Amino acid sequence: MKLFKSSLLALAVAATSTWANAESLAITNATVHTANEQGVLTNATILVEDGVITAINPSAANADKVIDAQGKNLTPGIISVMNNLGLVEVGAVSRSRDAGDKGASITFDPSLAYNPKSTVIAYTRKGGITSSVVSPRGGDSLFKGQTFYTDLSGEFDSIRVANNAVYVELGAESKGSRATNLQKLTDKLADFQAKLEKAKKDDKKGDELKRDEQVLKSLLDGEKLMVVYADRASELLNIIKLKQTFGLNLAIVSAADAVVVADELAKADVPVIIDAMQNLPSSFDALNNSLDNAAKLINAGVKVVITTGGDTHNMYQLRYNAGNAIANGLTPEQALAAITSTVAEVFGLDAGEIAVGKKADLVLWSADPFELSTKVEHIWIDGKEYSTQSRSDKLRDRYMATSDMPRAYTK
Amino acid sequence: MQKFVPTLLVAGISLALTACMQSETQDPRVTINKNPYPSTYQVLPSTATLLKNATVLTGTGERLDNTDVLLVDGKISKIGQDLTADNATTIDASGKWVTPGIIDVHSHLGVYPSPSVESHSDGNEAISPNTSEVWAEHSVWPQDPGFQAARAGGITTLQILPGSANLFGGRGVTLRNVPSHTMQGMKFPDAPYGLKMACGENPKRVYGGKKVAPSTRMGNMAGYRMAWAEAEEYKRAWDKYNADYDAGKNPTPPARDIELDTLVGVLEGEIMIHNHCYKAEEMAMMIDLGKEFNYHSGTFHHAVEGYKVADLLAENGNCAAMWPDWWGFKMEAYDMTLENVAIVDGKPNSCAIVHSDSSSTIQRLNQEAGKIMYRANENGFSLKEQDAIKWITYNAAKSLGIESETGSLEVGKKADVVLWNQNPFSVYAQAEQVFLDGAKVYDRFDEKYQAKSDFLLGQE
Repeated sequence: MKLFKSSLLALAVAATSTWANAESLAITNATVHTANEQGVLTNATILVEDGVITAINPSAANADKVIDAQGKNLTPGIISVMNNLGLVEVGAVSRSRDAGDKGASITFDPSLAYNPKSTVIAYTRKGGITSSVVSPRGGDSLFKGQTFYTDLSGEFDSIRVANNAVYVELGAESKGSRATNLQKLTDKLADFQAKLEKAKKDDKKGDELKRDEQVLKSLLDGEKLMVVYADRASELLNIIKLKQTFGLNLAIVSAADAVVVADELAKADVPVIIDAMQNLPSSFDALNNSLDNAAKLINAGVKVVITTGGDTHNMYQLRYNAGNAIANGLTPEQALAAITSTVAEVFGLDAGEIAVGKKADLVLWSADPFELSTKVEHIWIDGKEYSTQSRSDKLRDRYMATSDMPRAYTK
Repeated sequence: MQKFVPTLLVAGISLALTACMQSETQDPRVTINKNPYPSTYQVLPSTATLLKNATVLTGTGERLDNTDVLLVDGKISKIGQDLTADNATTIDASGKWVTPGIIDVHSHLGVYPSPSVESHSDGNEAISPNTSEVWAEHSVWPQDPGFQAARAGGITTLQILPGSANLFGGRGVTLRNVPSHTMQGMKFPDAPYGLKMACGENPKRVYGGKKVAPSTRMGNMAGYRMAWAEAEEYKRAWDKYNADYDAGKNPTPPARDIELDTLVGVLEGEIMIHNHCYKAEEMAMMIDLGKEFNYHSGTFHHAVEGYKVADLLAENGNCAAMWPDWWGFKMEAYDMTLENVAIVDGKPNSCAIVHSDSSSTIQRLNQEAGKIMYRANENGFSLKEQDAIKWITYNAAKSLGIESETGSLEVGKKADVVLWNQNPFSVYAQAEQVFLDGAKVYDRFDEKYQAKSDFLLGQE
């Protein structure tokens, strides 16, 4: 009898959560930062159905759930890129790391190792981050593997797009010369292009292509983004040339000295993915790092994505980095775009703006989204609300509780 | 530290006189020069400066609105309302905030400088678990552009530490953040030395990997205890030498050991411990280790689990220097909570500090402290700006043993002052002017006060 009861309960829970997924939501009276040409809408209402934004300022907001934003700021969920989210639980614990592999090459797909239950994910939601482009760390090959796009729901089905870009590392080498990698990359693309052309001439079908060749083909067709790591200005010019020669869809990550060739990057429509907090000459490739680089690049017409450098575990602070970029010359609108809509544009993602038809990844903030004193009040991924409570909160609560018993009994 | 020398000399002479009855002739007394690389720091040119109508955070827990601060001859001369001063440069600070100069107790600027090249990687003498003989000051590259960047973030004083590869990493040095082409030109006059120790994963990984001790945490503890036991013996040998000499004998001095000199400096209370230590159980043991060998266990650095032993730290007079949020890079940094600093700070007689250990966040310790204050206030605390500023000023000065000279805005103390464009705990806050001993060392709007490293000259 008891058993029967609990399975009924389980059924009820399951039913509720299915129903919750389909629950419609209206957010009323919000200051909506669309992150697109619509700019900022005041006293606006957003209607969400089946995880998608279906109306902005509808005549009637009939929804299962209504949230009165009381004039607070609603933004698209922030998108973080080029991190190891869900691939590394503890940096120095080898068996909790899956981002790299000595043998990794252009086909390496780290999404197969993604752990949506990593404690880093709930913690990262504290920063209003709703989705992420996760990158491989790679191995000996200059092709580090492929990135994947995931939401931060922590659900088992949270990967939205696997293999969405190829990650290549150029730049300074401690052993050997940076020339070799550039040459290898150029030769690889040229040789394969020649092979494709010959096959076309011989009227052969492409169906005998090997797996790595299929990836190369999607790069040469401009279908798949190639993200290239490099810093030195002269090298950025080489990469621009590579794009032009092969018709690649290409973005440069790190790009410390991009300001030196800002006009060339703008003209060639090559976006850069930068850590806006870098302002020290960290290497001979990065002598022009500066806190106002984001502003200088955007004002020169370069598409800029802001990301957090270094450790994935603290990428929740991406919004603070964007805030610092504002303190150093960006407008709030530019800063918001650099962590939402421009990211979506560069990586081809269905997110990053508040517009009809877009995925309902939304964040309602207590005040200015970039300010240290502001917190996330609500965060929705695919139209469903998630918590920002993480292991960090559990530890705080345990050690702040008063009890006569050892802490281990406080749960 | 030098003041001990004359006292010893006087004692030596008087005892030598009473020992005249003995016939033994004495060789000159052997003494150890405790300050062989003395500071040559010079205050930069300054004028009297009057900051008018600012919001002032004193660093002693007070916030004073619409208040003036007068800097004269390198000192805080007056703090109050409607102050006037002849011949003073007057700055309208309405709407702006004034705080003590920011102090970072944990920096590797100069020893791991920018650019990060092998030739300048001088922070870890990772050849032996005990390298108490090395001094970070001997590795400092004063041309590290990071010093200028830190100054633009309001840093006026900072401790440069060796890294954490070793159980005993060597001596740290406290610097004034002024441009200089020598380390001595930056050295904080008469600040105590620090001794860097390290718990946990780093030493056991570095040496365990080489198949030498320590390879475990118990090996770490054994390493510390053996070193302190040896230091005690060395100290006894010197004490005996001095006692015998004072008794008119002509003893042979112990063989000089530079490594043990540092440890004895700790046992004699002249050198302060700065202990890289993350975990609750290890901090508790390091406190007991200090008691076992009769020295104070000092400041715990990183202390990611400080909140678990907040009572113990406060009861034993230990400072804890922490990040707001770094975690997950090692197992010992896994149990992070964003309220760590606030919980440690919340105990009576606590000494919570926010440190950087980073050439990037040293430029924004104000924001690092801000993050903690706001997150803690969302979760049951009621911290104010006047509380948070202590984590990066007064408490940091206390940890370095320089709190009588700097770390707060009090009449008579060094005029180490930052003028902020707004509330310093905002993401948009910027230091507009920075004063060190009353001299302007940085001005955001005047290139004349923006120093540039030799390294960056002529680079494109």
